[in-house]
Amino acid sequence: MSFRRLCRGCLLLFWLAPLEAQHGSIAGLPFSTPKDVQAGQKSFRSQCASCHGLDASGGSVAPSLVSGAFKHGGSDEDLFNTITKGVPGTAMTAFALQGREVWQLIAFLRSTEIAHSAGKAPGDAAKGAQVYHAGGCARCHTDGSGTGGFTGPDLSEIGSHRTLAEIEQSIVDPSAEVAPEYWPVLAVTKAGETIHGIRLNEDMDSIQIRESGGHLRTLMKAELRSWEISRQSPMPSFKDRLSAGDLENLIAYLASLREPAAEGQSK
Amino acid sequence: MRIFAFLTLALVSVSAQNWTTYNGSYASTHYSTLDQITPSNVANLNLKWVAQADSLEKFEATPLIVDGVMYVSEPPNTAVAIDTRTGREYWRYERPVPPATFVCCGNINRGLAISGDTLYMGTLDAHLVALDRSTGRKKWETKVAEYTHGYSVTVAPLVVKDKVIVGPAGGERGISGFLAAYDAKTGKEIWKFHTIPQPGEPGHETWSGDAWKTGGGSTWVTGSYDPELNLIYWGIGNPGPDWNPFVRPGNNLYTDSVVALDADTGKLKWYFQFTPHDEWDFDSVQVPVLVDLDWHGKPRKAMLWGNRNGFFYVLDRTNGEFLVGKPFVKETWSSGLDDSGKPVKAPGKSPSIGGTDVYPGVQGGTNWYSPSFSPRTGYFYLTAWEDYHTAYFTFDEEYEAGKSFTGGSIRSPLPAISRDPIINWGPEWGYGVIRALNPMNGEKVWEYKMLDVSDAGILTTASDLLFSGNREGYFFALDARTGKELWKRYLGMQVADSPITYTVNGV
Repeated sequence: MSFRRLCRGCLLLFWLAPLEAQHGSIAGLPFSTPKDVQAGQKSFRSQCASCHGLDASGGSVAPSLVSGAFKHGGSDEDLFNTITKGVPGTAMTAFALQGREVWQLIAFLRSTEIAHSAGKAPGDAAKGAQVYHAGGCARCHTDGSGTGGFTGPDLSEIGSHRTLAEIEQSIVDPSAEVAPEYWPVLAVTKAGETIHGIRLNEDMDSIQIRESGGHLRTLMKAELRSWEISRQSPMPSFKDRLSAGDLENLIAYLASLREPAAEGQSK
Repeated sequence: MRIFAFLTLALVSVSAQNWTTYNGSYASTHYSTLDQITPSNVANLNLKWVAQADSLEKFEATPLIVDGVMYVSEPPNTAVAIDTRTGREYWRYERPVPPATFVCCGNINRGLAISGDTLYMGTLDAHLVALDRSTGRKKWETKVAEYTHGYSVTVAPLVVKDKVIVGPAGGERGISGFLAAYDAKTGKEIWKFHTIPQPGEPGHETWSGDAWKTGGGSTWVTGSYDPELNLIYWGIGNPGPDWNPFVRPGNNLYTDSVVALDADTGKLKWYFQFTPHDEWDFDSVQVPVLVDLDWHGKPRKAMLWGNRNGFFYVLDRTNGEFLVGKPFVKETWSSGLDDSGKPVKAPGKSPSIGGTDVYPGVQGGTNWYSPSFSPRTGYFYLTAWEDYHTAYFTFDEEYEAGKSFTGGSIRSPLPAISRDPIINWGPEWGYGVIRALNPMNGEKVWEYKMLDVSDAGILTTASDLLFSGNREGYFFALDARTGKELWKRYLGMQVADSPITYTVNGV
């Protein structure tokens, strides 16, 4: 799966590279498709569930693997090493799995981490919904309720794709990384017209954009005096706009927005 | 939905010309003496016809043109004869693909070869098929290798005298590669050169333990031939497993090499290994371009090579002597070449569990698409991926016959094989260029920069035009002397092939 297709699948405004180092993310793994996650789940049940529990939430002899915190290192590489080399002095032995299977296991663990995050969000999702609407989020986003804007990503299943920490970062630091399908364009034509939009596509000669009103338009580069494709999100940081409680509640609300399949998995 | 179609443009010329091999000639310069299309009239080029193919897969086939008929292969195992004036089909040969075929990168077939009244095609189920030129009926078939073990034949065969030469793809399937010659009349095997030396053969010592058994060394792009020296030159693919070099210590001959073989016997005359002990899948299957150069006042039989590893090379094709080596794109895996042309590897660039970023990325600085050399300008032209990298992951993998055997994985910001119709990344992820190099020193003369990367090869002409295309869907003509864009047309699909030119009935 291509990186861009993956981005599009997630429809995420924010690509939180810094978090990958700490918690990892499914998108950062070499094998990360839904099929891989499924294969990882199968391996988990046969190899790991007897100690770590069928849903990876922990058993009598081994800890939970769904919290996102790992005693022996939580990076992708740490997990790979823990699985393939074991942890001396503990019941965790080295597993002779093929590399692909190990990565699929890790993809499954990451997905589980996300699946479990809704129930673990400390905030109140119902109150978070009020924050969402009062804060004007719906001007640019949709939460799946049938209304909302399209300037920003569709959030109606965001809870299935991102951890709580990633959602929080998106709210407090929206420009940490903006997915390429939401990069804003500012162009000035040779006639002096200033044009704003989101870049949808580009080639050597032209740029396809969606203007803020939804109008689709093609800009011919030869007709432009200048153009700039920014990586900055037009969304302001809500760090100082929300109280700590409102932020917590908003995160809980967004984490509760899930795909039907993920809903079942989280129960 | 993406639509793939053959497309021909009215490349008009007064001098009659066919295109009879994958590379247009044994020297593989992809240079045509046709000269009626010029820098001043190229803007008048128009679409002549479109032939719709059954397959929706990417085409990497180069058509043959013989006396007004185009012979071309379509994915997966189909050969077609087409009238070059109208685009109408004469006949179609379709060979069923058994379910157990498993090629790494799409159901690719790179085209046909012709000798007299017979056409030759490799198949995904690793056979060589001879077809009657008039009817498309099968004359004979011969098994090249065992397809259930990951072998396939995607290369366009090369006919040299009374022999047809092919070899397998499957470098990501744990094959043990070779190049073989078959009797053009009967399909009987005449000789076989093991690209992974077997026990007792010279070069076997560059492998340890049983690693040679799954050592790769595929031969999936058509080579060149020098009739005077009677040598065949062929590029050899990557060692296997691709990204777990730790299980195959040694130089891993003849992977990532060019080999010069006696055309009659298949005996090795010389070899040059571009990337000893490759760790990044830098197949050296590029087209060997054979040119005779005035080398500092003396004539020299040279071979020009833009390698997937990011270096441009000039070799003496009589003996393999290294003459020039210089990077043509950003590369970080080496700190340069020594006096013999051997790379000095940079530390810390091996694939790792957590992923190691290396330039160029897995598709290389260039790849299978054809370069060109114009004797008029004296420049070597190639399609390159600039500023492009990949994260290489490694892990242990058990070999299972016929299954993927790469020993790792890769993650690239740019899609390595195919793309959807959206281009929306940033320039720091890499971009495509057509570059003209001076073969005397490897220096860049000019470049034509594109937004997206390109899998399209290059054609140059005696009127100093250069034709190529790209993933953006453009087919274009440049001034071969300056790189200036003279004409461009959007074809509605990615161009992933090498252009050809021909005349029919004087036009």
